[in-house]
Amino acid sequence: MRVQLAPSPASSIRQRLGAAACLLLAGSVPAAAQTSVAPGWQLETTGLFYGEQARARVVEPMARLARQFANGRALSLGLAVDAITGASPTGGLPTGTVQTTTSASGQASTTTADAVPTHAFQDLRGAVDVGWVEPLGTLVSASTSAHYSQEKDYASLGGGLKTSVDLLGRLVTLTVGGGFNRDRVFPTGGTAMGLAPDSTPRLPGDNAKEVRTGLVGLSRVVSRRWLLGATGSQTRETGYLTDPYKVVSLVDPVTQLPVAQVNEERPSERTRDDVLGSSVYHFEQDIFYANYRYYWDDWGVRSHTLDMKVRHDLSSESWVQPHVRLYAQSPARFFVFGLTQGQPLPEFASADERLGPLRTATFGATYGFHVPGHRGEFTLRAEYMYQWLVGRPPTAIAPIPGTGGGDNVRRSIAAEDDGANGGGQHLGTNIGTLLIGYTVPF
Amino acid sequence: MRRRKLIALMLLAGLGIPGCATVHPWDRDLMAKPTMRFVPLPHEMAVDDHIYFSKEGSTGGMDAAGGGCGCN
Amino acid sequence: MGLEHLEGYFLGRFEAMASPCELLVDSDDERTARAALEAASAEALRIERKFSRYRADNIVHAINHSAGQPVDVDEELAGLLDYAATCHEISNGRFDITSGVLRRVWTFDGREHAPDPTAIAAALALVGWGRVTWRDRRITLPAGMEIDLGGLGKEYAVDRAAAQVAAATDAAFLANFGGDLFASGPRRGGQPWLVGVEDPATPGSGQKLRLELARGALATSGDARRYVMVGGRRLGHILDPRTGWPVAGAPRSVTVMADRCTEAGTLATLAILRGPDAARFLADQGVQHWVVE
Repeated sequence: MRVQLAPSPASSIRQRLGAAACLLLAGSVPAAAQTSVAPGWQLETTGLFYGEQARARVVEPMARLARQFANGRALSLGLAVDAITGASPTGGLPTGTVQTTTSASGQASTTTADAVPTHAFQDLRGAVDVGWVEPLGTLVSASTSAHYSQEKDYASLGGGLKTSVDLLGRLVTLTVGGGFNRDRVFPTGGTAMGLAPDSTPRLPGDNAKEVRTGLVGLSRVVSRRWLLGATGSQTRETGYLTDPYKVVSLVDPVTQLPVAQVNEERPSERTRDDVLGSSVYHFEQDIFYANYRYYWDDWGVRSHTLDMKVRHDLSSESWVQPHVRLYAQSPARFFVFGLTQGQPLPEFASADERLGPLRTATFGATYGFHVPGHRGEFTLRAEYMYQWLVGRPPTAIAPIPGTGGGDNVRRSIAAEDDGANGGGQHLGTNIGTLLIGYTVPF
Repeated sequence: MRRRKLIALMLLAGLGIPGCATVHPWDRDLMAKPTMRFVPLPHEMAVDDHIYFSKEGSTGGMDAAGGGCGCN
Repeated sequence: MGLEHLEGYFLGRFEAMASPCELLVDSDDERTARAALEAASAEALRIERKFSRYRADNIVHAINHSAGQPVDVDEELAGLLDYAATCHEISNGRFDITSGVLRRVWTFDGREHAPDPTAIAAALALVGWGRVTWRDRRITLPAGMEIDLGGLGKEYAVDRAAAQVAAATDAAFLANFGGDLFASGPRRGGQPWLVGVEDPATPGSGQKLRLELARGALATSGDARRYVMVGGRRLGHILDPRTGWPVAGAPRSVTVMADRCTEAGTLATLAILRGPDAARFLADQGVQHWVVE
């Protein structure tokens, strides 16, 4: 005989009893009897394999060791090593002729007529971080963290502090946090002079950058199945914010072809804001995660991000989690595809596609499983990302006089155009990632 | 910018208002599961934050003290 | 304290509150099961030590020997006393934690005894929650009176222990302290727990009823093991504080299901205190129940 707690009209005695029992059991238990999470160690190792089509490749092994203490305190130590090779766009425009680029790191690359110029690079980055969680009473918890990372041309040192408070019978959690980073940028070959021709000698020395962040978050248990949260944060960056290797093409007004390059230049201050709404909903078996972020900053960049995941248990030992992420960005005020030669130079300019009208779509899934009888859990994630720019750079309209390949050139550039009425030009990049993880408590 | 900040603040405050339905202590069974949190796989989020930070123009919303890198 | 690995779950056993206690954990991980068992037994023993009337070193003993002086109590005991006061009011005086002194008059060993009316009357003079001053976390018992939390203790311990286990693991579990039980959720794969309800006519053997319990609490009240024979009539051990006698015409066994064990146990006790009206009372409350007359 199956017995269900079917809802039934409760009499006043039962209601009063239920309320009285609720009150009794909601009372706190003497602190000595409280144990939250079982104390112990946990080791988490992850390996990332990241590849962009004809561009950058990254291999990154990471490890994290965490220790949970009986009184609720926790220690976490993380290590990561990034090996990056490949090519990255310079910000220059495709030309009608074969183009050669030299980069500040001394690498040279040759690109064909319709390809976006790139420069090759190779870098190794190491990062270490440490964190500590300290409960302050039964309702309040504080955590601090510090991190350091170093690569060939960049070093970052920073830390943060966060406090969480449980309110309204532990249904609502308020979080307040802040962080500070002090970075040093020391580009290979020296720092470029902004908006000067890219052959201008570079300046030696370090450049400083400071980042300050504050955030406020609220999360709420809405019902037995539903958790909702919202976070707002603001970040202020000051110092050297320009990309030292990127250039902007100068386009000849007559031929509409790039003829020279200048270094890019960005403001030395940036205020970034964002609001994030998150939801976790537990259906009968599956859990649905969704979050939406709206971002804006004083460079004019605005973006929308929608991220959704579903966690589905395949058995008691394995699960799968498909994932979709959609991203749309509108460009910085000073973003240009190219500048016209002969016109006065603006105060700031950048052709870095990451500040441009960018769209990213990500599709992937994670598969996780326990080996029976063993305590560790493996996760395997494969994802495909496609990133493209929307908009129309000033490309060739007329064939280049004197070159037999004029029509070919026009066709090869226009091939990326979206239709006769000149819709968006999609400089799309295909990216694939593979993430392997292993977590084991001991 | 000011109006957006106000909307953002209202959104945050809205979550704090006590709702009409209360969640009893014995209804906390699902919420106690480790998968019932905003970030079910923290190691994936750390990797993603880094990837999207270096490929896009926005910063993440989750953590105040993220690390820096020379990728944006 | 023992831990056994059975088919797909662990069975932990320990002794507390003079009852065999069991904890079933739906997990194949021994570490998880052990942590859960330790959490449950630690909490059960803590509650027993703190509230048992058989101990000479706890707050209950201090209150019962306070000779009419006021005693300050902590938050947890205050909660229990408030709950007991509410039950006293809801039941129109039938539920009374001061009725413990009547146990000196009755012996529930299953044998024939003749009650002594003088002794009962004398004991009744020391019974009555209405004579207790309970206010501002301070209790004042007239000299000679006692409080007995035995009618609440086991069910309360089940709920508290369940909270401790839920904090230690997210595996589904069922805690059964001497027949008062709570299931936190269905087992992996959605299967419910299988619970047998004992036949009061044949205690210790066979089951009258088999239930599938996914989530919730069950408590049973009755005279299966503790009873007295008076004039050939069988009387249970639950005493009516208004008469000093065991409740007349009460069913042999009452099992109630509710969200929490404390609630289930109180409803079962309130039902028995209604005597012949037990089944109707439970039906009026709209709870799942099984009554054996």
